[in-house]
Amino acid sequence: MPRLIIDEREIEVPEGTKVIDAAQRLGIVIPRFCYHEALGSVGACRMCAVKFLQGPFKGVQMSCMVDARDGMVVSTTDEEAVQFRQRVIELLMMNHPLDCPVCDEGGQCLLQDETVSGGHARRRFPGPKRTYRDQYLGPYIKHEMNRCIHCYRCSRFYQEFCGYRDLGPLQIGSRMYFGRFSDGPLESPFSGNLVDICPTGVYTDKTARFKLRRWDLQRAPSVCNQCSLGCATVANGHYRGVMRIEARFNRDVNGYFLCDAGRFGFSYANGGQGRRERPLLPRIAGVSASAPSALASAREALENISQKYGPRAIAAAGSNRSSLESQAMLALICKTRDWRGPVFFFDPSERGKTVAAVQELSSDIAVSMREIEKADLVIVAGADPLNEAPMCALAIRQAARKNAPIVTIDSRPLFLPCEFTHFPVAPEKIEHYLAMLVWKAVEKVAENPGKDAEMFCRQLGALSLESAPPEAMAAFSELLLASKRPVIICGTDVTRESTPSFAAGCARLLKCAQKEAGLFFLLPGAGSFGSALLSGTQSQTFGDLVEDIEKGVVRALVVSECDPFHYYPDHARLERAVSKLEQLIAIDYFPSETVERASIFYPASTVFETGSTYINQEGRLRFAQPVHCGGAPISPGEHPPRVYSGLVPGGDHLPAWKALCQIASMPREDGVPAPEKFIPSVLPAFSGLGAGPIYPVDGPRLLSPGPGFTSQWSQRGEEAGEGAPDFELLLVEWMFGTSEFAAWSDSLDAAVCEPHMSINTKDAARAGLSDGDRVSVELDGGAFEIAVSVSERTAEKVLVVPRHQLLDWQKIKGFPVRILAGKIRKI
Amino acid sequence: MLPDELKVKLREVIAAAESPREKAIDVMFEIQELQGWMSDQAMVEAAELLGMTPLELEELATFYDYIYRSPVGKYVIKVCDSTVCWLEGRRRVVDYIASRLAIPMGGTSADGLFTLLPVCCIGYCDRAPAMVINKRVFGNLTPEKIDRILSQLAKNADFSGSE
Ligand code: SF4
Ligand code: SF4
Ligand code: FES
Ligand code: FES
Repeated sequence: MPRLIIDEREIEVPEGTKVIDAAQRLGIVIPRFCYHEALGSVGACRMCAVKFLQGPFKGVQMSCMVDARDGMVVSTTDEEAVQFRQRVIELLMMNHPLDCPVCDEGGQCLLQDETVSGGHARRRFPGPKRTYRDQYLGPYIKHEMNRCIHCYRCSRFYQEFCGYRDLGPLQIGSRMYFGRFSDGPLESPFSGNLVDICPTGVYTDKTARFKLRRWDLQRAPSVCNQCSLGCATVANGHYRGVMRIEARFNRDVNGYFLCDAGRFGFSYANGGQGRRERPLLPRIAGVSASAPSALASAREALENISQKYGPRAIAAAGSNRSSLESQAMLALICKTRDWRGPVFFFDPSERGKTVAAVQELSSDIAVSMREIEKADLVIVAGADPLNEAPMCALAIRQAARKNAPIVTIDSRPLFLPCEFTHFPVAPEKIEHYLAMLVWKAVEKVAENPGKDAEMFCRQLGALSLESAPPEAMAAFSELLLASKRPVIICGTDVTRESTPSFAAGCARLLKCAQKEAGLFFLLPGAGSFGSALLSGTQSQTFGDLVEDIEKGVVRALVVSECDPFHYYPDHARLERAVSKLEQLIAIDYFPSETVERASIFYPASTVFETGSTYINQEGRLRFAQPVHCGGAPISPGEHPPRVYSGLVPGGDHLPAWKALCQIASMPREDGVPAPEKFIPSVLPAFSGLGAGPIYPVDGPRLLSPGPGFTSQWSQRGEEAGEGAPDFELLLVEWMFGTSEFAAWSDSLDAAVCEPHMSINTKDAARAGLSDGDRVSVELDGGAFEIAVSVSERTAEKVLVVPRHQLLDWQKIKGFPVRILAGKIRKI
Repeated sequence: MLPDELKVKLREVIAAAESPREKAIDVMFEIQELQGWMSDQAMVEAAELLGMTPLELEELATFYDYIYRSPVGKYVIKVCDSTVCWLEGRRRVVDYIASRLAIPMGGTSADGLFTLLPVCCIGYCDRAPAMVINKRVFGNLTPEKIDRILSQLAKNADFSGSE
């Protein structure tokens, strides 16, 4: 490990550390533009000049280009280096329009900072400034090329890091231009990061344009709750509105970046127009009421029901977007008050897969996204990373950039922004393909792997022989055999119930074969891990509740941050069931159909207003601090909230868990129960975490050493025979347009595309369909119309349809959905 | 639209290469040979043949001085714009050509024959000031010499339509 001296202070750093990073460890931030830890060094801007006084290099050099070595003595304050940097910044500022007063970057601009740090203040060059024509880059990013200093960060991020190919460096010399071939929306769903990564104001966030100044913002470390990864964000609030989301660095989770769904999908919290207006006033029987009266009448209504029919006539439901606080409170209430539930899952298969994934994931095989980047082979089985957990696709790309082969086994026509080999297979074959792939590589399993491993191995072998391997498979088996750090990424959306456990078995077996094998699950939502911890394998699902309501066993339903109408596959039936209820009590921040129909509604606060915990899909605690909350002074300044309302100042709404606590009249010793008390009471794993702020913002991973091989994977259901003439309809997630956040955030509208149904080429030919046709698909509960997308990359015998907001798919009645070819009609 | 015969030829050129994009410049030259410049449409079609995105091809096209993204005259006069030529009166050369053809720097003469552009050092420093016209280099430029060259070219163009 090299030891060097920087500005008269000694430091020892790992081999390969650049001098610029070594200095940073000492707290010395050397000016820079082009250097970024995630992108590496290119030496393009010359801003990071320092003087090497002793050691293998002498004189002024770029600190981002030189590896720290033993015996180096470096000065950042040497006159020659200081002057060099001053000249560089003067040159870079030569064409700058000096429009900081109207630039959204102002106040958080590296160019401003470095101009000051370089000591440049007076323009000496009398010639004209070079100017550019800006481009239209879509709904999210504003382009102002005159501010560019040609550091290449944007194009390196966009093309190299993310793998998209429609933005890059054009022209030459002083005409250098960063943009697209022609005006048009950026194709990358990671484009929002350009705002963070450009050191100047070339790319700014259009959704926040001209609304704010950095120094006026309230900022808090937050967490994205739009998918199960739980990326770290900074929420920026102003006058009680969320103005902008930025990426927050987290080494293990998202690194420096975010996806566009997570970055721009916050407008629901500010309330939209018309039907998307955020419900801020409590309602009793459709009439606005005060918060105390809404809570009191909910409490009364529930007490009445409990007295009349017993407590089991009350059922409680949460969802995978509820925070752990709400989920735990629901669980605690059900335990103490003997209510039915809590129910977090909509169908048994979703419950089975999520619970299995959570049980299987143990600390010996779980990997983080950072470890995926370092994998030397990645197998994606039954997962669509780009749509289910977008940032995971970027992690896979980083592995691919280091030449890791990427294999995907899935029914959907997957896309990843890197080279990969796709095996399109129906859900029931995913395990077979995984077996074929892994079988070869585990031949050399350690001497005595144990009885369970041997048994799993035998089954794996048998399964791998069930179908003939496709040609390309053999090569990948060889690569897997040779790999050292393979990672299996397994999804829980289109897979069979046994698949998560099967994937875990494969990872364990690879581990027995002396590999540092890893396992990474994708779960349905940010709250999925928590809800699985709180639900047993036998817990009720929402489907069971509907039956109970129909039978008249359940008379009141309390739903917290949950909209069954969004998820339940039989809209008409749910409508009937709900109308039978004596009470539907909804606590939410979305103006959902459930909220519309609620007999008593209480408006919950969002993640931006409440401290919320999520456990991400690798078992890591993610805590989001509130960025603005009722009662807190607006800092700085004394401006009233933007939105005028009848609310008493400081009397803003409670987080769902506090409201729940009140309507269930939970016993409390001293006012409000604290999460650090009640979470451990239902989740013992939390008891070790201590009191106070119960865990650091970027918390630890809550995983046990591991159950070893389980036999859950062997509980494979009956499959329809090979010759069955019908299709299986797979409902899937899209990055934009399927989530509740997308449904209620007008800021995401611009990114939502028309839904389409993917079908395999051969199937399409048999059905007489071609790409672009519109079809009507007849379901048990009615028909929907959709455009067809034909691809060889879609598995045969499946129809892949997004749970899209523009598609009323909630007519399918139940899962799994089988559709006869005759039910698809061209229109 | 690129003519079909040209496309066939370009496909062959590309197929012979180890990786398609190494032929990007050759493909653009072929197209320019025929059409004089690279139109947006030509860029999009060429990119498709090469398996590149239009942006990736544009990165190359706009990097090089010899690929034209707007229409140019039959003869592209590129006057050296580097140090030695500056010292040796490059300004006068440019002014002279500009006034003779009645075009500004970057312009194309009304008859569509000449376009005037700057270029960086072309290695004729010992014969500065210098210029290149299409693929020929001329040094030691004087007004008389420029007159001679330009009239000759104009005359040739009248005859055959080719050099
Ligand atoms: S646009 Fe921004 S990131 Fe890109 S080169 Fe210019 S200054 Fe750098
Ligand atoms: S990857 Fe998931 S958690 Fe991360 S920013 Fe996108 S939606 Fe949010
Ligand atoms: S940061 Fe070192 S040259 Fe740009
Ligand atoms: S400077 Fe003009 S040819 Fe070299």
